[in-house]
Amino acid sequence: MADIDDGTSAPAEPLDLVRLCLDEIVFVKLRGDRELKGRLHAYDSHCNLVLGDVEETVYVVEEDEDEEEVVKTVHKKSEMMFVRGDSVVLISPQASP
Amino acid sequence: MENGANAGDGRDPSGFLSEIIGSQVTVKLNSGVVYKGELQSVDGYMNIALEKTEEHIDGVKKRSYGDAFVRGNNVMYISAD
Amino acid sequence: MLFFSFFKTLVDHEVTVELKNDIQIKGTLKSVDQYLNIKLDDIQVVEELKYPHMSSVKNVFIRGSVVRYVHLPGSVVDTALLEDATRREASSQASKTKQG
Repeated sequence: MADIDDGTSAPAEPLDLVRLCLDEIVFVKLRGDRELKGRLHAYDSHCNLVLGDVEETVYVVEEDEDEEEVVKTVHKKSEMMFVRGDSVVLISPQASP
Repeated sequence: MENGANAGDGRDPSGFLSEIIGSQVTVKLNSGVVYKGELQSVDGYMNIALEKTEEHIDGVKKRSYGDAFVRGNNVMYISAD
Repeated sequence: MLFFSFFKTLVDHEVTVELKNDIQIKGTLKSVDQYLNIKLDDIQVVEELKYPHMSSVKNVFIRGSVVRYVHLPGSVVDTALLEDATRREASSQASKTKQG
């Protein structure tokens, strides 16, 4: 797949993008309508992550009195957390909505 | 094996993928979310790196990312626009 | 291997494991294996009212695949060391795929 790789060229494979995010703030989208923003301290090929100073946003659908669905956002903080890779959908440097 | 002699001629899937690197693509996930951007790279797990990416949910543009890494297991298809 | 080694450095520290079914279990990390299965001692279920089962359980073995997050005490994580180890793992992975 890297048949035109001269060895020094920029992103030859997708995970290189994640490597360039080390010690930077990343936005992570997870399964189950969850998002994280925090500093990336570690990752591996499964997309297991360690993030510091994390803000988590969870989108929850609730029914109000009229039985109408409303999306609520819940915010949580964590000073340091491990994220299991199988929940990860997308990783993006910095990025804010 | 996937680096065989005919990789790149577009007659097998990985040949197709290496052929469309650098082009504008649409990536659809199993969840239905769609990403449109410039394809930077793909690997054997179908992990994808995109540039100048737009996120569309139910046909509505939700967000944009300068760079985005998408974990391969979530991918339904990649199509060259 | 990176995260297996990382979790081994956290043994005997208090962590909170959040499962994919939203249950959170706080306890002392007693052991971890290559699958990131986790053994916790002296456990306590966060939001016990919502999840009343397990209130009599003292320790658990958690299958790695059901874990969503593990919240860690920030003070016991050497972030610079972790980033170096990550770069080393990434380059060893890269050389592996080039050979394969």
